Amino acid sequence: MDEKLTIKPKTVFFKTTNPMRNYLQKMKVFLMVTAMLFAAVVSANAQSREVSGTVLDKTMGDPLPGVTVLVKGTTRGTNTDLDGKFTIPLQPGDQVLVFSFVGFSAQEITIGNQSVINVELDEDIQSLQEAVVIGYGTQDKKEITSSVASISSEGFNKGNFPNPQSLLTGKVAGLNISTPGGSPNAQPTVRLRGISSFGANSSPLVVLDGVIGASIDAVDPNDIESIDVLKDASAAAIYGTRGASGVILITTKKGSTKKGFSNVTINTFGSAEQATNLIPVLSPDEFRARRPESSDFGNNTNWRDEILRTALNGTTNASLSGGFENTSYFASVNYRSNQGIVKNSGRETLNTRLNLSHGALNNRLRMNVNLAFTDTEANDIPGDALLFATILNPTMPVFDNSPEGLLNGGYFQPTGFDNNNPVALINTRTNQTKVRNALYSYRAEYDITDDLIVSAQFSQDILNTLNGQYLSRLDGAPNGGRNNNGIAQQNTYDRINTVISGNLRYEKEIFDGLNMSVLGGVETQLFEERAFGAQVRQFLYDQSWNNLGAAGIRFGNNTNIYSNAAKSTLNSVFGRANFNFRNIYFFSATLRAETYSGFGAQNQTGYFPAFSAGADLSQIFDMGPFNQFKLRGSFGIVGQLPPSPNLAQSIFLNGNRILLDANDINTAWVAPLQTTNPNQFLKWETTRELTFGLDYALFDGKITGSMDYYRRNIEDLLFNVGVNVGQPNPFNPGGSQPNYTAGSIWANIAGLNSSGFEFLMTANNINLGNGFTWTPTAVFTVYKRARIQDIGTGGLTLPEIRRGIPGAPGVNNSDVIRNIEGQRVGDIYGPRLVSIESDGTAVLSTTTPNEFERLGNALPTGDFGFTNQFNYKNWDMNFLLRGSWGHQMLNSFRLFYEGDGNATWNSVITKNTPTNPVISNAPEQISDFYIERGDFLRLDNLQIGYNVPTRSSAISNLRFYAGVQNLFTITNFTGVDPEVRWTDTLDPMNPDQLAPGIERRSTYFVPRIWTTGLTITFK
Amino acid sequence: MLRNIKAICVGGIVGLTMISCELEQEVLTGVTQERLLNEAPPELAEVLKQSAYSRLLNDGSWGSHGGFYSYQEISSDELSIPVKGGDWNDGGIWVRAHRHTWNIDDGGLNGIWDVPFRVIAETNSLIQQFPDVVELSAEMKVLRAFCYLVLLDNFGGGVPLVIETTTDANPPSSSREELFNFIETSVLENADLLTRDNRRSNFNYWNAHMILAKLYLNAEVYIGQPKWTEANAMLDFIINEGPYSLTPNYFANFSAANSNSSENMFTLPFDANNAPGFNIHHMTFHYESQKTFELVEQPWNGYAALEEFYNSYEDDDLRKNNFLVGLQFASDGVTVLRDDAGFDGDPDGVDINFTPNINQLEPNAFRQAGARVNKFEIPIGSQSNLNNDFPVFRYADALLMKAEVLLRQGNAAGALVLVNQVRQRAGVDPFTTLTMDSLLEERGRELFAEGWRRSDLIRFNRFGSPWWEKPNSPATRNVFPIPLSKIQGNVRLTQNPGY
Repeated sequence: MDEKLTIKPKTVFFKTTNPMRNYLQKMKVFLMVTAMLFAAVVSANAQSREVSGTVLDKTMGDPLPGVTVLVKGTTRGTNTDLDGKFTIPLQPGDQVLVFSFVGFSAQEITIGNQSVINVELDEDIQSLQEAVVIGYGTQDKKEITSSVASISSEGFNKGNFPNPQSLLTGKVAGLNISTPGGSPNAQPTVRLRGISSFGANSSPLVVLDGVIGASIDAVDPNDIESIDVLKDASAAAIYGTRGASGVILITTKKGSTKKGFSNVTINTFGSAEQATNLIPVLSPDEFRARRPESSDFGNNTNWRDEILRTALNGTTNASLSGGFENTSYFASVNYRSNQGIVKNSGRETLNTRLNLSHGALNNRLRMNVNLAFTDTEANDIPGDALLFATILNPTMPVFDNSPEGLLNGGYFQPTGFDNNNPVALINTRTNQTKVRNALYSYRAEYDITDDLIVSAQFSQDILNTLNGQYLSRLDGAPNGGRNNNGIAQQNTYDRINTVISGNLRYEKEIFDGLNMSVLGGVETQLFEERAFGAQVRQFLYDQSWNNLGAAGIRFGNNTNIYSNAAKSTLNSVFGRANFNFRNIYFFSATLRAETYSGFGAQNQTGYFPAFSAGADLSQIFDMGPFNQFKLRGSFGIVGQLPPSPNLAQSIFLNGNRILLDANDINTAWVAPLQTTNPNQFLKWETTRELTFGLDYALFDGKITGSMDYYRRNIEDLLFNVGVNVGQPNPFNPGGSQPNYTAGSIWANIAGLNSSGFEFLMTANNINLGNGFTWTPTAVFTVYKRARIQDIGTGGLTLPEIRRGIPGAPGVNNSDVIRNIEGQRVGDIYGPRLVSIESDGTAVLSTTTPNEFERLGNALPTGDFGFTNQFNYKNWDMNFLLRGSWGHQMLNSFRLFYEGDGNATWNSVITKNTPTNPVISNAPEQISDFYIERGDFLRLDNLQIGYNVPTRSSAISNLRFYAGVQNLFTITNFTGVDPEVRWTDTLDPMNPDQLAPGIERRSTYFVPRIWTTGLTITFK
Repeated sequence: MLRNIKAICVGGIVGLTMISCELEQEVLTGVTQERLLNEAPPELAEVLKQSAYSRLLNDGSWGSHGGFYSYQEISSDELSIPVKGGDWNDGGIWVRAHRHTWNIDDGGLNGIWDVPFRVIAETNSLIQQFPDVVELSAEMKVLRAFCYLVLLDNFGGGVPLVIETTTDANPPSSSREELFNFIETSVLENADLLTRDNRRSNFNYWNAHMILAKLYLNAEVYIGQPKWTEANAMLDFIINEGPYSLTPNYFANFSAANSNSSENMFTLPFDANNAPGFNIHHMTFHYESQKTFELVEQPWNGYAALEEFYNSYEDDDLRKNNFLVGLQFASDGVTVLRDDAGFDGDPDGVDINFTPNINQLEPNAFRQAGARVNKFEIPIGSQSNLNNDFPVFRYADALLMKAEVLLRQGNAAGALVLVNQVRQRAGVDPFTTLTMDSLLEERGRELFAEGWRRSDLIRFNRFGSPWWEKPNSPATRNVFPIPLSKIQGNVRLTQNPGY
């Protein structure tokens, strides 16, 4: 072999971590350098004929420096200079020139008699799409044998989507993203392949540019290049104990690899949001007609009008990207202002990002820095305001200027229970949250040899949350600020996650046609968190939550002080091997071993293996129209961490305050108490998943897609299981506290079985004539809901877990959701409505909870998304229809307010109440009457865009667009939003996964959002 | 290639080392078991001891809603929670509690179980942790005996006997006799070691005997063998030897500053700031009563006395002030409170008037109906937790218990003297004769809302009798079922007969 060929090529290109692109790059760099060397040799022999020309970027019209120009069939060539110009000497017999450049489609030009050849190279979209991020590297899509979905920025939802998760709604089969209501501060609930845990985290792990567990706040949607979703255990096993709910890998935009090139892109849009789908209630006159005279306050108030507004929102993203000598950069500033449609609610976010890459030592050493800072300020309104805006007596006035009323801030204050003025609530109560996030990640890669690459990454994700709340002295609600002379609180929560990681990759064709890539690595993750809070009351002057010291009462009712901190360590060793035999047979194996300080001493290390294999039958047999017919099967084991690292430890926290001498405050102590029962055996949840899939392509890639069938079996489910206080705790042998002192213990208690079928099909650019093209993409998922197995461990049995209490007034102690061994998670139980007597009394099948029947299930049996992209000349249109089906929901508004039985409140109008209410005494008892099907079809988002043709030397792209979100929803559900409720949000801080399907009365109104904006790129 | 292999090996070794290290979980919040066992601040034993007592005050306890206390009161003829158009329906559990038709999965039953058992957990731990501190062990054993008395009274057998040496994770149900003997032995063996200091919020030499007095008084109910002689002896000891006396003013025992009442024998030392939990004012008063007492938080409009019970008081009985009745005013005493949401048909209209008559238990009780519990002093401006100490054992109870024993033993004259001591203080004419029925009524009037009525009715064989909105109930309802969740948490528990 020629000595020169083994020299690592000198290159100016940045080397990415994408093996597909690495191959391309390597090959091209290699070719280019060899060409240069030969060119040098050849040029010494001065030939008579040469060809020269310029190579341009077809999209941008810019000169492309560094393009390899090679005479086909030879090793002779050159590369373009900074102005994209080249000159190449020819020899007799030279017929074709090959122009190639990383990220662009290669082009072949027949020389003929030409002496000047100008070429425009097209960006190679295909090659970008084919690289799939799989964790600690990328893989060519065709080699992937587990279940992985990949969505690039073109495929994202279009509109005002302020968080990354919602970009994927309806786009990935098996991924349900649900954001019930329209609060600007609501975070979506993300479930991959349904419910995956009871008590541990059920949201997929987020990996942002290789940073495991990064805050989702750290990235603005506009900066995202692509999102890859590791759906099955086989793919996620590389993330061990954190991968059981799936993994979402987010890759941010990179700078250009083109030298001396930079551009500025500004994307700005405004949106107007208005409430839609308001539940009908009695008008003031209808109310007067039905209620006793004493309920008439003589006014006509539309309470929802009083708190709603048209929210005008704006978002601006500005980014600068480019590259120069061995360095590329991407810098962006993103500002989002999102008012809520309810006055005084809103969110403002400023995010900045710098992604920097640099190659040194002839690009054998590559360094990457990603820095992101996010500053968010959120204002929330009391959930009760949303309830009362719907059901408060419409004859009541908004304001009251009497002396008594002025003590309530001039707001009218209704009397009685559960009866408040929503306008007063949103104006006399403040709830602000400030979130600051800094994410920085440094990565270095070094090519030890051509085949062996070592890389190291250090990252920190720092999250600071500050929440402040104030109930004003003028807050006249019964338990509000006025009776306390103002209540102020501040709460902070700070978290630092540090990841130190190193790995070795080895890629080689080990023998003819068999390519192997092996990865081995180690990783340490440190989690530190800290919280502090104080609440005080009794202020002379309202001072919001800025001056807690001004409060006279710092002790007792409605006061609080606390702090806590925790630290834990997760050490991992992992390895992966991928084999590709002639692009026909593929095999992959993964193993991760993890030791976590928060596991019980008895169970500290877990092993998570995975295997997958596939074969593209279209490469073996003639399969007619099929270009790809890759059958694959995969199996993997992944885990899930307990929700807190201290659950296995015998720790005495804070019990009751003890005043040793009742008359002497100086004798106050806090008794140490195990407020959590320790479990020395606590370990990870274990998810075993088997997936069979098919990736297919038809008619030269015109139609592509995949299908997956999975079976998931979770064991050792982590759950805070009820125990009998006072009985011996068998999970804490040798403990000094022999009995359970708390009513529950975190234990690995049960199993969950589920399965499902996922389908994806895209028809690429169907020509509808006259340049009008249509690209429809359909995804759907059919779930077999999770079934609970074997609840019980070590003498604990728990045949059923009841959850989901509708609440006051009158529906306490009546749970609607039962999770029963052998049955499905989220079964809805209650009596059936047998009849309604003439006086409006409901006759139920039973009032004994033990005789309640299964009325349905709160989790969906299917999701679908139907994305449509139309292009016509410079016009494009994109819309998404999506929906879920099979889930049933408790309509709380109907349960509590469909009847006329109570003169306090207004009534909701439904088909049961055309003139008279059906049931006079609601709320009395939950029954099937209030359970509704949640099936829905929603036009989620639609956008029309126009790309202005530009010849400007300064502007390379100008696009105007306009769109709408939530244009319509087709559903039989009569509540606020038929969106799947995966968790119960009654306590937003502790969402309950075992009480799905309840639409709470504090659900934020759903907006329809109209957006218009423009994107402009300067070169 | 060799070098590569070497690098991989080195990496692998580093990795394996990381994995094989056991990771110590650093504890940044709280005290580890090691520290608790090895470092003993001088106050520790006393703090832990009082902590064990303090767990009697937590959720569901005497004077709070949702558990033990609710069931003692609602299942008796003293109090009910009328359902007001859905408000307070709560899945029907309080109607069932009143009608004795509770189900094994009614959530409130757990509270009856948990209140004593969480104290038992801590006493066991202290007995184990401080075996050499004899007085402490003795006191904890007496406290534990009191908890088992509560359990025996409410669940009969069916309760597992967990002591400091129990290691069986699923201890089986004990028999009534086992529990009875355990309680008796615990107190008899340890009372002498207790302090003579009359600290009302702890067990001492004096009030410990009240546990035995209650045990013997109910022995016929508990184990089918009357022990009137033993009960008599205990009560004699308490009355003759103990440091207790009737206070001149009945209500002094229930005032916000009742810690030094000479009549209260064993109390739960509630404190608005340090020992929260007592909120009878929230449980009983109307929402708008917030304005009467200028309460920091809004009451719940729940508990109301049965009319018949209210009427069992003579008009000149000072103890009739146990109730709040009539037209209700704001704290200025002038402004009549309004309930804008009064039902159609409420004869009082929107003005709030607590009438002793309650139109029905459910589903549409008038929101203002029913006499409310006003036995405990509610100072103007009270927080949602009260400062009053809750009397569990009271000297007047001891006197009436003694009277009962004498009456049952045939000494009506002796009984009459004791009962009339109590009646005299209440400002009513002394009885000239005494029957079991009139004694039971007197106990009701005197001990209203103190949590003893259920137990008394059972002992007088009246718990199954019908009263307002409650039909006859079978004798099996004299004990509660082992709550479903407890059976699920311990497969070796045996359900009580009839459930």
